[in-house]
Amino acid sequence: MSDHDHKHSPVEAQDAGSQALAEALRSSFVIVKFAMVALIFIILGAGFFTVGPQEKAVILRFGKPQGEGQKMLLNAGLHWSLPYPIDEVVRIPISEIQKVTSTVGWYATTPEMELAGTEPPAGPSLNPQIDGYVLTADRNIIHARATVSYHIDDPRTAIFNFASGTNHQFNLAGVSNAVQNAANNAIIITAARFNVDDILTRDIAAFQDAVRQRVNELVETARLGVVIDQCQVQSVAPRQLKDVFAQVTTARQNRDKVINEALSEQNRILSQAGAQAASITNAAESARTRFVTSVMSDAEAFAKLKPEYEKNPKLFSEMELAKTMSVVLPNVQDKIYLPQRADGKPRELRLQLNREPQQQKSAGQ
Amino acid sequence: MKKNLITIIVAAVLVVIFALLLFTFQVRQSEVAVLTTFGKPADKNLDQPNLYFKWPWPIQQVYRFDQRTQNFEDKFSENLTADGTMLLTSVYVGWRISDAKEFFPKFAGGSVLAAQRQLEQMLRSAKAAVIGKHNLADFVNSDPAQLKFAAIESEIKAAVQTELATHNYGISLEFLGVKKLGLPEAVTQTVFDRMKSERTKYISEAQFKGEAEATKIKSAAERQAADVIANAQAAATRIEGEGVAEAAKTLSVFQQNPELAIFQLQLEALKASLNQKATLIFDERTPPFDLFRTLPANPATK
Repeated sequence: MSDHDHKHSPVEAQDAGSQALAEALRSSFVIVKFAMVALIFIILGAGFFTVGPQEKAVILRFGKPQGEGQKMLLNAGLHWSLPYPIDEVVRIPISEIQKVTSTVGWYATTPEMELAGTEPPAGPSLNPQIDGYVLTADRNIIHARATVSYHIDDPRTAIFNFASGTNHQFNLAGVSNAVQNAANNAIIITAARFNVDDILTRDIAAFQDAVRQRVNELVETARLGVVIDQCQVQSVAPRQLKDVFAQVTTARQNRDKVINEALSEQNRILSQAGAQAASITNAAESARTRFVTSVMSDAEAFAKLKPEYEKNPKLFSEMELAKTMSVVLPNVQDKIYLPQRADGKPRELRLQLNREPQQQKSAGQ
Repeated sequence: MKKNLITIIVAAVLVVIFALLLFTFQVRQSEVAVLTTFGKPADKNLDQPNLYFKWPWPIQQVYRFDQRTQNFEDKFSENLTADGTMLLTSVYVGWRISDAKEFFPKFAGGSVLAAQRQLEQMLRSAKAAVIGKHNLADFVNSDPAQLKFAAIESEIKAAVQTELATHNYGISLEFLGVKKLGLPEAVTQTVFDRMKSERTKYISEAQFKGEAEATKIKSAAERQAADVIANAQAAATRIEGEGVAEAAKTLSVFQQNPELAIFQLQLEALKASLNQKATLIFDERTPPFDLFRTLPANPATK
């Protein structure tokens, strides 16, 4: 109120100048204040960041990754961190499936050829710079490769202990390189202790297991921070010798077939012999039974006849003989009766024996 | 006063931030840093991730190195084994800067490429020395006891590690393995030729073996069958013998009157022998034809 009273004094005019200055200062302070608030918001707002679907992020606070184990990795979505230089966000390109294939054991081919299932033409020899192969224990050359799928078990190790190059970038290329070389080494070293036929036909599973085991061992001893989920092993004969290898397989299958046939033949022979033996012993059994029974019945009959015979042996004999003759004679084809010569001299009788008894002739003198 | 306070706070914050930028630096998880004072490196590696203090440039300077394991593979190179085979090998190593304060004065500006060149040289001589001591049979062998692949790898690793230690390069070898094993190109062709003749041998062997084995199995079966039948026949003879023995027990019955028994047997024999197609010639003494004798004599049949 009192200010109004001095409105028109020169002091007032001076006051007006300083007042304008004060006014300007005040308004600029407001601007500064606003700017500061805005700055705080900007700083805080800048802390927001998004993580895409094909990547994960790790917050480094004063260089140290935040969170332990899998919690270290921030998934796709919106996240917030303190402003730089306190926090630093590093992004790691990472796909769901981590998969590498060994590079050393396979002939030079392209993904297109792989898809089409064709092979490059085979030369007479293998150029070590281009064509990969493995040496087997029996010093054969074949092709083998392993495809390894794995997942990151310990992100701190996998991301911060392995580099791919010197650019200070964070990615999983370093660890994937290490897994790939583990697969390469496993293929080479396992093939070196297996014979070619075991790898290709006889013991495929054992070879695959051995490769898998070696990859696991290497991954564990090198502490890569990954866990192997799957390890598929593929092995083929060299293209140059495909046909002969196939022929060996066919020949071996034939051999097995021939042997199997022989084995079934063996079964047949043995079961037949068994049956024959059984029939021989059975026949003997029944012959024995028949014989014993007949002898027994003969004995029984004899026991019955004996009293009759003892009553009058001569009569009995003659009766029996006569009975028998009457049974026997009708069966006899030729019956020749030769009475005694009147002069009592013996007769001379000539017999001509032929094969055909019908043509038998008798000649009396 | 209130305004001044805000100004002071703002100024202080700015000063603190500026001072922090000047006097501190961070080391990340993957890094190792070395601080130099007027160009002289401190004898301490800052290898833990943290915030560190330093005097501003030009008093102190920070050199950072990647302390992560680097993958390095040498060139596919030829070496002679002890038994004179030319063998191509390539190894991969995982190496890292383990002692940055030693590492960076030795390689111009701490160049990783320079370090890898050095590493390659060491690998080359280590490989030549180790491979030259071993036969090819130590590299490829179906007998796990004779296969010395793992030993060869650790020998190469040990040789390189010794070299690294004596020169104190500040490099450590985390792992080493053979990546590739091969033969010179010309040799692969002779290997193929050998493999081919081996396969051909296997083909004929399989054919021959199959037939031989089959014949063996069949003849063994036949022999066994013959044995079985012979055994059965022996058993049959025995059974029949038992029958005879059993029947012999009835002999006592017949012994009560041997004459009758013999007579009966004779009758049986007669019946059996005159069963069919027989020709009998009689004279008048044979009963019942003796009947004819008692009849009045007929006229002579001359």
